[in-house]
Amino acid sequence: MAIAKAERLMNLALCLLGTRRPLSKRELRESIEAYLEAGSDDSFNRMFERDKDDLRELGLVIETVENLDGEVGYLARRDSNRLPPVTLDAEEAAALGLAAKVWQQARLAGAASGALQKLRAAGLPEDFDPYETHGALEPRIPVHEAAFEPLMLACRDRRPVVFDYRKATAAHPEPRHVEPWALECWRGHWYLAGWDRDRSAERVFRLSRITGKVRTRGARFTAPVPDVVTVRETVASWAGETADRSALIRLRVGAGYPLRAKAASVRELGDGWDELEIPYGHGLDAWLVEFGPDVVVLEPAELRADVVDRLRAVAKG
Amino acid sequence: MVGKPARPANAIDQTRRMLSLMTYLRERPGARVEDVARAFGITEDELVSDLDVLPMCGTSFRGGDLLDIDTDGERIWWHNPDDVAEPLRLASDEATALLVAARAVSTLPGLRESDRQALLRATAKVEAAAGEQAGASSRLSVTFESEGGVFADVDRAISERRRLWIRYYSPARDEVTEREIDPIRLVSVGHTYVEAWCRRSEARRTFRLDRVAEIKILDEPSAPPEIELRDLSEGLVQPAAADPEVVVEVGPGGRWVAEYYPHDSADELPDGGLRITLRTPEPASLKRLALRLGREGRIVSPRDLADSARGAAREALAAYDGVEAHGAPGAHAVQDGQHGRQEQEL
Repeated sequence: MAIAKAERLMNLALCLLGTRRPLSKRELRESIEAYLEAGSDDSFNRMFERDKDDLRELGLVIETVENLDGEVGYLARRDSNRLPPVTLDAEEAAALGLAAKVWQQARLAGAASGALQKLRAAGLPEDFDPYETHGALEPRIPVHEAAFEPLMLACRDRRPVVFDYRKATAAHPEPRHVEPWALECWRGHWYLAGWDRDRSAERVFRLSRITGKVRTRGARFTAPVPDVVTVRETVASWAGETADRSALIRLRVGAGYPLRAKAASVRELGDGWDELEIPYGHGLDAWLVEFGPDVVVLEPAELRADVVDRLRAVAKG
Repeated sequence: MVGKPARPANAIDQTRRMLSLMTYLRERPGARVEDVARAFGITEDELVSDLDVLPMCGTSFRGGDLLDIDTDGERIWWHNPDDVAEPLRLASDEATALLVAARAVSTLPGLRESDRQALLRATAKVEAAAGEQAGASSRLSVTFESEGGVFADVDRAISERRRLWIRYYSPARDEVTEREIDPIRLVSVGHTYVEAWCRRSEARRTFRLDRVAEIKILDEPSAPPEIELRDLSEGLVQPAAADPEVVVEVGPGGRWVAEYYPHDSADELPDGGLRITLRTPEPASLKRLALRLGREGRIVSPRDLADSARGAAREALAAYDGVEAHGAPGAHAVQDGQHGRQEQEL
């Protein structure tokens, strides 16, 4: 039976951490059973390179040193791999325990547990169970978008990407070349902010509209990364959260609670209708149409026309 | 166990865990299997499978010595502890996962103040310990949405085991109803919800906090029946197979429907639109969707649902009749379809 990958990675990690001098590839191959069984030089080399990358993902700092004979050696120095002392009290540990379980994405859930395990091994207080419910609160960070993981890595490593993106109203996706800056989750959806190379401008993308694979480009960023990236503000303005005008509507008594909750003023008309002044931002027309015959737009005329237009389309069916 | 993150059997996660296990076991000779599994957030079976692998590992280059770690099923001993097992620094992804989550949780309005302070202190300490590995964590952020006052009341009712009275807005019927609920837990998935036993419908219900119009904590004790908590990782809305089927066809501008509504299928149409099949316990709630879509989509079936959306649009249009002719917004007719009356408004 082939030796399990976890066992191979453990052995490589322990060899590199245990040594005081750089070990050559040859020495490592002779020391680790899985490498002895690897067969050809090619398959050993591929396996070794992948394993080193995996250990680096786990946080191991592996140095590459050339000795006097020009042979390359590897080692993971203790002092550059040691966790600095962290002293957390039981309350702090419990709070971190709650935070560590909010991810619903496999890679980050694994990384958060791994972080907690490292802290636990280093002496984090244990008189609580971090996996039990903490109070009544169960926050979860949902990640349903396949594009999330490659984009997270690209943001981390500052690598340009290319992906097919279908704009909300476009029939077909188009390739976009982006220097990814930051990802943000708002109202349960993930957004990417970055530099759009084709448009030479900052853009925000919604991850669920990325179709197909995210491919990473080897090149570096060409545009400077701003200190503060504002994803949420951009999205809020699309969502009509930023209203710059107001509208006057009539609303049937008892209907449209969310419109009432947003209203600047409500006036009873006494005939089964109220008159409301509400903020008018992007998307208000579509929202008002949802209330069907319980809403009548009074002004502005432009909003009235938009609503009538939408109603006509539905009436025609 | 409810809410435990999915932990796939993955070689990287297992390696990470085994390295920490070594550090942990070195300090705790004879540690109990049960305690170690709990400390690591894994099952005892998972721990035992790690303990099967560890004796095959070692710093063998230095003399072929393997880790002499064994267990009698109850306690664990490491007979040749090695200083190779020092606490390891955090990886970039580990620091990011923990810090981003901690920052997000610390902004939840319902978090108890003492917990928030503890979390902020812990976040600062982890940031310091992670050093430069914490850098990439600023490239990821999460905002939980929740309604502060409502949240605090629900949280208090849960911890004091008291019943709640709420006025709750249901978008499906565009109405606000009063009900008494026995709260069970708060869940934040994008929006924040309270899962509760609804005394009015005698059933488990999930209420979105931003749709709670009014809330009061009652003196009666909360007494929800013993119910098994659902795993909500697949989403809060989980249509049942028995729910009626609705077919919606949308144009390119209505493709967002597939993003917002859990559906059985979404087939591409030649014009760049989608034919979406979904199930809902309450098809009437989709009348709003049909109205919202306008020319970007329509309900194909059931027929009576499509008709009711058309009817609602016609009724709404009647209120604007004649107004265009006068050209004066403000004066218009309203038809009350239910009673067939027509009122002239001035």
